[in-house]
Amino acid sequence: MSATIEQIHEAIARALEAHQQVVQHRDTDSIIGAIAETAKRWREPTNPWRLRALKEAPAATGFSEPMVGEAIDLTFGALTREALGELVDGELGNRHILDEFCLRGRTRCRVAGPRLIAHFLAGNVPPPGIVSICIGLLLKSANIVKMSNRDPVFPALFAESLRDVDAELTDSVAALSWTREDSTQTQAALADANAVIAHGEDHTISALRQLAPEDSTFLGYGHKISFAVVAKEAMTTEGLPALAEAAAFDASVYDQQGCLSPHVFYVEERGELGPRKFAAALADAMAAFQQRVPRGTLSVEEAAAFTQVRTGYEFRAASDRRVAVWSSPNSNDWCVVYEDDPSFTPSCLNRMVFVKPIDGLKRVLDSTKQVASKVSTVGVAPMTTRTTAFAASLSNIGVHRVCPIGQMQRPPLSWHHDGRPNLAGLVRWTDFG
Amino acid sequence: MSAELQIRLLDCIRGRRTEVFDSLALEMFAFQFERNAVYRAYCEQHRRTPVAVRNWREIPAVPTAAFKDFALTCFPVEDAVAEFHTSGTTRAKAGKHYFRTLELYDATIRQSFAAHLLPDAARLPMLVLTASPAEAPHSSLAHMMGAVAQQFGRPESDFYISHDDLLAEKLVHDLLEAQWAHQPVFVLGTAFAFGKFFEHCHRQDLKFEMSEGSRAMETGGFKGRSREMPKKDLYVQFESFLGISPSRVVNEYGMTELSTQFYDETFRVGHQSDLKTVPPWARVLVIDPNSGREAAVNERGLIRIYDPANMWSIMCVQTEDLGVLRDDGEFEVLGRAAGAEVRGCSLTAETLSSR
Repeated sequence: MSATIEQIHEAIARALEAHQQVVQHRDTDSIIGAIAETAKRWREPTNPWRLRALKEAPAATGFSEPMVGEAIDLTFGALTREALGELVDGELGNRHILDEFCLRGRTRCRVAGPRLIAHFLAGNVPPPGIVSICIGLLLKSANIVKMSNRDPVFPALFAESLRDVDAELTDSVAALSWTREDSTQTQAALADANAVIAHGEDHTISALRQLAPEDSTFLGYGHKISFAVVAKEAMTTEGLPALAEAAAFDASVYDQQGCLSPHVFYVEERGELGPRKFAAALADAMAAFQQRVPRGTLSVEEAAAFTQVRTGYEFRAASDRRVAVWSSPNSNDWCVVYEDDPSFTPSCLNRMVFVKPIDGLKRVLDSTKQVASKVSTVGVAPMTTRTTAFAASLSNIGVHRVCPIGQMQRPPLSWHHDGRPNLAGLVRWTDFG
Repeated sequence: MSAELQIRLLDCIRGRRTEVFDSLALEMFAFQFERNAVYRAYCEQHRRTPVAVRNWREIPAVPTAAFKDFALTCFPVEDAVAEFHTSGTTRAKAGKHYFRTLELYDATIRQSFAAHLLPDAARLPMLVLTASPAEAPHSSLAHMMGAVAQQFGRPESDFYISHDDLLAEKLVHDLLEAQWAHQPVFVLGTAFAFGKFFEHCHRQDLKFEMSEGSRAMETGGFKGRSREMPKKDLYVQFESFLGISPSRVVNEYGMTELSTQFYDETFRVGHQSDLKTVPPWARVLVIDPNSGREAAVNERGLIRIYDPANMWSIMCVQTEDLGVLRDDGEFEVLGRAAGAEVRGCSLTAETLSSR
């Protein structure tokens, strides 16, 4: 249901009141404790909020129930006391700097978060939205959250579940829904915001940037793509099954709809096993993952896009030896396409993965140069001195994150989302002495 | 054998002969399986050989994308008398459809076009908003327009696109002349070209009142995700700028990869309709892309066409268009299937390429 302007004004007033009266006087350790405790409870199999999400999220997100379960574990598994503490300490030097003047070098400093943050969430992948809210909580801000129409479940349930642990903290968060077309609602949410965190497609972000108050801090997170690279050292008989399983996990989670989901696996030639072997092993692992965590139901449009890509390659594969296709029998559950053409092929998503042989790691840079500004994460196997040097080259073309294959969907809380700090860009410093 | 099959097929298209579609289609499948190695390899991989296939519905369909990767012919490609190309973008390759003869193609044009647009056998000046076939020898649409103008149009029929430019002034001039002479006209072209011309009329404050008997045929109009302009809105403009009622505007559905075209039944039923009739020599199925099986009547799916007039290329073509089959065997085209909604936060093949 779409929130009215009055509801938005009221929600903001309540959140600001909580911020002013209580939350801004809280110490950071207690906030970290409350978030961590809430997240820990979500991971318990009988937690009522978890059970509600498992029931309510599939319809809105399009994920199967087991996929929602995976999403819960990935989202809340990252919100540990240690990880939250590390995030604050790492970016601000010391978590107590949010509570009181702390010595930094020769000066004592204190930082304060924005008074009011407007969060605009997008898409059906829960972690970015939940993390966004946590950032607002850690900075003791008041938070107005516009939930995504693809996930009106997780942010609302998370806020409610926090109430069980820490009611006064929860009062600083209001998660509401309205449609993109309700521009007066959007304006009401933005009017008094000191900071705006916007997720979405480029045009949505630039529209919000236009509407945001001139003196507000604006952080935009656009849609991205990811891919992975398997160096020849990883292509061993012994290592392949585990590597394929890790790769299938990265590609299948969130039905490949996340910005961390790989579209292409580049596999270096001249390993003990060839790139085709990787494609076959990946297909087996995708099938196994499908057994455990089925892909969600597709719309006719999505299924049509998937079918077109699959059948197009199947037709080619029948008489072109440079192409091979593995897919779930008589269905669109998943598909692995091997193609001997190094150019980057963006996927139609929903578990459609490309495997491409590559003659040396350097070639990956040439093949992906065109999309480099849109790349979030590059998964790599194995992590060696040679791949570390390769990671440096990826960094030079603008890639924001390089991680082991299998960890693509598990960025640490302290990662630099889209290449920027999460908290440091939002705070205001006061120096004393 | 091939000469005899082609003659029988021609007779069917011309309405001089009726054949059971099933047996004709199976015969055609065997012919193409034998002569087209690329198709044969695909069929064998799916274990659908002429021995195994017992019903025309089981004949393997070829995705239109395959026309980009292979010369799909049942004859040596150097013997082609014509080749039509899809409008490939700079990024994507163009699909190519090679013809050993244009006899079958021209026969289907004549038969279907006359039935759906000239039931009164009117002979009208045809004002065509495409390039001429001489200027665009690889455009199937220009070829079709050339063929109908020659067969059914009056001698003053003409083409109003040249070097990608709409010759709006010339079109305005010729429409005015016809209006003054009370001469009904037949305007034909792409939805996109009509949209551009109506914009021109709007800017210049031009409104025509073409004589009774005038009519229009529009085609295409789908670019990327959706129709550039909803069909309804476009048809209102035919009325307001040309004085041609929506009940005299017909949409044509054709593609480079086919030899048979499909038309709205508008003239037959006497009011604007989005339903397309299937000529007796062809078949249309709608496939549920989730299951790969036929979609139920009135359910959306991908349009698959069995076009025996594609005798020398591929009879069974899997299009990328979504459509619905209606109760009486007619079908509706809903547009390109590429417009899947973005659900997560990943860019997709489509969102990335539209940038």
